[in-house]
Amino acid sequence: MPGRVALVTGGTKGIGREISRCFVQKGIRVYMNYSSDDTAAESAAAEVSKAGIPAKIIKADVSDQEQVNSMVEQILKAEDRLDILVNNAGIIRDGLLMLMPDINWKRVIDVNLNGACYCSKAVLRSMVGNRWGRIINIISPSALLGRAGQTNYSASKGGLLSFTRSLAREMARFGITVNAVSPGVIETELTGTMQDNIRKEFISMIPAGRFGRPEEISNAVSFLASDEAGYITGEYISIDGGLT
Amino acid sequence: MEREGLIEELKALIIKSLKLEDVLPADIEPADPLFGSGLGLDSIDALELVVALEKKYGIRIPDEDVGKEAFASVNALADYIIKNKP
Repeated sequence: MPGRVALVTGGTKGIGREISRCFVQKGIRVYMNYSSDDTAAESAAAEVSKAGIPAKIIKADVSDQEQVNSMVEQILKAEDRLDILVNNAGIIRDGLLMLMPDINWKRVIDVNLNGACYCSKAVLRSMVGNRWGRIINIISPSALLGRAGQTNYSASKGGLLSFTRSLAREMARFGITVNAVSPGVIETELTGTMQDNIRKEFISMIPAGRFGRPEEISNAVSFLASDEAGYITGEYISIDGGLT
Repeated sequence: MEREGLIEELKALIIKSLKLEDVLPADIEPADPLFGSGLGLDSIDALELVVALEKKYGIRIPDEDVGKEAFASVNALADYIIKNKP
């Protein structure tokens, strides 16, 4: 793993930040992508870098293909390789379909699904050339189960799971694996602000009786990114305390 | 580069990058289709060739429409490289 180069989209917050930290600990050179808040991204990178070698931040809106291409070009110019891509950037715009503003449908598909496509497409030539690569897509229990209020989100994540399976078959002979990880409800800044009654309601649905820890996701991502996982492709791992 | 020399170089590159162990350069007929018949190459093999050609000649094969034109035969590939190399 040391010497490998990784790009983690949405890598400065929540699960993405933990994945970046886990890679840094393993000696991987990490580029933490973010889309808007420069100051927060800088402080996240400084914090993650304490775990090992310095992590870098790189700004791009993954739903904009030109920005994605220029981000990947910049990394390839500096590193001459890009071995691991984690498509983690994602947004939520929940609402019942009948009343959903069309922009909320489009935006969620643009970021969660089209963004993963643009990033994957941008890194594949380098991975094929090196005959080694790892793409790990972060999906959701919503990809596997229906959930009222999440037609847009579940379609984007279900689409990403199907994308994972097909791309895995295209890339298998080049030593490139494509897998997905499905985190359940995870302790992050977001769930930290939940009201107590909502928190209890969520926990009552989870057989494990608790939320997951970010490192429980990053450990699985790190395994899928390793040489040891080279024969696993087109698969997904649910890490959700038994929820699905 | 002279076209004849380029054609021979391309045959060698195709054999090397696609690991066609039982194929000799003389077995590749420059006018024959590269994919779908003859050498028995498939569209996923073409991805490997795209990467190898882009690296060696500094050309860009951006999508499958261009790919179909460029990969029609070794002759077509040589013409595409001559026309598009930087």
